[in-house]
Formats: sequence, structure tokens, C-alpha cells
Amino acid sequence: MRTFSLAITFLLFLFISLILLGLVFYSPLSVLAQSLTNPEIQFAVILSLVTSVISTIVCIVVAVPSSYALARYSFPGKWLVTLVLTLPLTLPPLVAGIALLLFFGTTPWGKALENAGFSVIFTPLGIIVAEVFVNLPFMIRIMRSAFSAVNPRFEYVAKTLGCTDTSAFLQVTLPMASHGLFAGAAITWSKSMGEFGAVLMLAGATTMRTETLPIALYLNISAGNLDLAVAAATILIVISLCTLCLVEYLEKDVNVF
Amino acid sequence: MLRIESISVNLGKFSIRNISLEIKSNEYFIIIGPSGAGKTILLETIVGIHAPLSGMVWLDNKNITALSPHKRNIGMVYQDYMLFPHLSVEDNIAFGLKQKKVPREEQKKMVEECSDLLNISDLLSRFPVTLSGGEQQRIALARALVLKPELLLLDEPMNALDSCTRDRMRMELSRIRKLTGTTIIQITHHFDDVYTLADRIALMKDGEIVQVGEPENVFQHPSDTFVAEFLGIGNIIRGYGTRSGNLTEIKTTKGQVFYAASPVTGDVVATLHPEDVIISRAPFASSARNCMNGTVSELISSGSTIRVILDVGFSLMALLTRESCSELHLELGTKVFATFKASAVHLIPVS
Repeated sequence: MRTFSLAITFLLFLFISLILLGLVFYSPLSVLAQSLTNPEIQFAVILSLVTSVISTIVCIVVAVPSSYALARYSFPGKWLVTLVLTLPLTLPPLVAGIALLLFFGTTPWGKALENAGFSVIFTPLGIIVAEVFVNLPFMIRIMRSAFSAVNPRFEYVAKTLGCTDTSAFLQVTLPMASHGLFAGAAITWSKSMGEFGAVLMLAGATTMRTETLPIALYLNISAGNLDLAVAAATILIVISLCTLCLVEYLEKDVNVF
Repeated sequence: MLRIESISVNLGKFSIRNISLEIKSNEYFIIIGPSGAGKTILLETIVGIHAPLSGMVWLDNKNITALSPHKRNIGMVYQDYMLFPHLSVEDNIAFGLKQKKVPREEQKKMVEECSDLLNISDLLSRFPVTLSGGEQQRIALARALVLKPELLLLDEPMNALDSCTRDRMRMELSRIRKLTGTTIIQITHHFDDVYTLADRIALMKDGEIVQVGEPENVFQHPSDTFVAEFLGIGNIIRGYGTRSGNLTEIKTTKGQVFYAASPVTGDVVATLHPEDVIISRAPFASSARNCMNGTVSELISSGSTIRVILDVGFSLMALLTRESCSELHLELGTKVFATFKASAVHLIPVS
């Protein structure tokens, strides 16, 4: 069993390494370097960075209070609320994207938002909305388990020492859950950088407008610009690798699913 | 000092019903009872974590039932200490002072004073995870005491300590209490705490208080069979022990002397099971070291046994069968001899 399982493990390791290295070294380094300076790729990098950072911040701001509520309080219908809040986790991003498109495009609420200046269809703002919608459940799941791991008695003691509910949360519970927060933020950010399906549906794939890195990869491979596509893919691989290392370093047992 | 009037709390899994208690200023009050009796909920309700369904809590004639915990000035120490792991020992102790916006210089001074009191001055820069249970316990106490609380609640504070550390911690608590004059309510599972620390005790069972009183009184006059079975040991005698050969000679506060086979000396509490006391009409030669004369002051029958309370200068309880009792013709005022072995006496040191 030992030989067999180790053999399978090493074969997989070789297989995955070969595939990824094959992609990274597909084009000669000089060509890769040149592709990285291409204005389209640079636009995609910047757009991806800006949208993913904003959507990660939105996710944190929304997920922290709601996951705290799920971890601490009991209320009627909690199971249903939990189910709906975390449903997008298993929903294919394309389905999430088309649902968002219909919501913002055809419903009176969506139109009201559009008239109020919150225009999301085929705009960079749509990229952020799609990323938040798809990635929020991850953040909520991770933060909920991080908050659940903090014994409420820490808060009780903090209150006897002069804290209000809010200051006990900010000074005790949140710092004690900070590893979960950082790990969750890193995962959310990395997933936002790579989000494709939902972004494609809601924000479209317009060159130099809603062109994030994955969209750039898609558009360039469709047009046959293999070098540019590989450049975009290489950046995404590097980002994934860094995120994984960061998360491993921060918290060995953060529960992603 | 603290008055609880028919408090009821329901947390689903645990609840307490209709609890009334009065704790006096400077008192050391101990709550005992089986697990699941609702002891922790009672403390958490006093401190203001749970809102009672009904009833009122009064502190110094002020109704604090609806007051939030941070305005009550009641300290709480849990069994697992609950030290904030992300803060240094110093910041843990200063946590409450920081909330009260005490100036930094003053904070430092108060933390130093308090850590001197608890002998933890050399730990201030460390982090809680690197400390032993006894050290963490002292820090948790310091963190509560630095705010000079009117009332200090201790939830099984010594449960997680080994027995040696527990003995030392017990003396520490007694010393702190003398120095600071803080009123203390403590939950415990250890009768040694009850014997040595408690001014009064309350017994809890199934969310209700079964009996309240001074320990000697409660042990000798349990209100029902549950209390009697739960408490077990019947005699608690305070005295001063000095070495006498291989034994310890104990002089009680009222002057009587008896012997215990124990190396403990100084201020002590002696405990003795009532079934280890033999009653006779005349003194008899035996290997038992202790023989005292006294009169029967009370006869309490419970089932097949009778608890005989003797006045031998202090109050001593013996457990006899009905048969022995009638054979000895025991009545109130009967003059008898009480014999017990020095090895049957257990001594607990008091600071």
C-alpha cells in the first residue's frame, strides 16, 4: 500500500508540475517578457488588481458581521439563511452570472439601481459585483468557522473588564480570529483575480474595458494570440502559488469548504 | 452587598429557577453542587451576561438587573482563565484599565502593584500560551483584581490545577482576600476549598438552591438526603496544629486538644467522618489516640441511622445505627465518651 500510494502521489506531482511548467515555458522568456509589457496585458493586470482588491474589501466588510451572527446567535430559520448565504459556493459561476444579468437587466429593482447610477451590465463595476457575489460565501464560511473557534467566554470576560459588545468584538474576538480573516481575504482575492464565468456573463468581454486577466486569456486564445494568452495564464499561476503559500503559512487548518 | 431576588434564567440546555441569595460584604461565599446544576449560569447572570427571565439583582442597594456588564464593576475568573492569547501578560492585566481610559503611567503603576501582590512581576512581557496553569491563574486573578472590583466571581478557579498548585493557590486566595477585602463568590468541586475558605456555602442542584448556611452547620444539618449524600463528611473543626512526636496536636479555638496523624501544622481545618467516631458510656482502652468526653446535644434520625451531635467543647457528629443508639440509651444531655483514631482525622492547611 505504501509503495502504491506513494507512487500515485509522485506521478500526480510530476503530471501537474509538467503541465504547469509546460505552460509557463511555452514561449521563450524574451517573448514572455515582451508579452508582459504589452498594453493589453498591463491593462488586464491593473483592472484585475483594482477590481479584486475592491471586491475583497467588500467581501470582508459584509462577511465579518454576517458570519459573526451565524457563529454566535440563534434565530428562527437560521438553517435556511445559512443555506442561501452559502449557496453560491456550489453554484456554477456561469449560472450565478446569468442570474445576476437577469436581476440587473430585467427586474424593476435592477433598473432602479441603473437609473440611480449603479450601472453594472457590461461595465467594470459589474466585474466587482460578480466577484463579490461568487466569493462572498467563501469568506462567510471561513470567518464563521474562525469566529466559532473563539470561546464566547473571552467576550464575557472582556465585558466584565469594561468593554461594550462592540469593543469586546473589536479588541478580543476579531484579533483572535485574525488568521481566519487573513486567510479568507487571501483566498477571496485570489479567486477574484481568476474569476471568469460570472464576470463574462455580467460584465461581458470587451477588450480594454472589462478585460481582466482571465478574460484577456480567453479573448487572446480566441483570436489566436497564444503568447499573450500564455502571459496572462502565467501571471494567474504565480498568483495562485503565492496565495496558497500565504494561506498555508497563516493557518494550517483553515477550513475552506 | 449583593442581593438576588427570585432569579430565573433559561438558556435552553441549562437553566436556573427562582434563585434568591444574599451575600454579605467581605464574605467568602462558595457554591457547590453537581455539574449541570446551573452554577456557572448563576455567576454569569450576576455579572450581567445573561438577562434573567424574572427576578432582580441588587448590588449595594442599587438595582443592577438591566445594567450592562461593563458598568457593574464585578470581576470574573473562569476555570480556563480566558487570558487573551494575542496580548502580553502586561496588556492582559492592563486590559480593563485601558477600557477605563486610565492614563498610561498610572496603568503601569497599578499593573506593577497588582503583579507584585500575585508574584508575577517577572512574567509581564511573556505571552499566555508560554505559561503554566498556576501562572495563568494568577494573571487571570490580577486582570480582575487590578480594577478593584466590588465583587469577584470565581468559576472553579482551581479545577485545572494539580493538587499541589491548588493548595498553594488556595492559600493565595485567602491571602488576597485578607489584603484586598474583596467579597468573593466561588464555584468549586473541591471540599477542601469549602473547609478552608468559605464563610458560607450554598448547595445547588438542578438549577435550584437546596441549602445555604455556614459550612459547619450545613455539614451537620443537611436539609435533605441529597445534601447529606453530596457533602458526605460531617465534621469540620478549626484549630492550630503543632508537631507532637509522630502526630500533630490540634488545639481548637475553644481550647480542646486532639491528635491527627498528619504532618500538617499551623492554622488548620480538621475533617472527620462521623462514622469514624465511636460513642461509649465509659472510657475504654483502645489503640485510638483520641477520647473526649461530652454530652449529647442533638439526635437526628435519618432512615436506619441516627446522627448524634455531641458537645465536646466544639460540636462533634457521630453516625450510629438505631440499635446502638437504643442500647446506649442515648438521650439529650446524656454524658458519653467519643473515641476516634488520629489516622481518621484529615488536616488541611489554612494560610
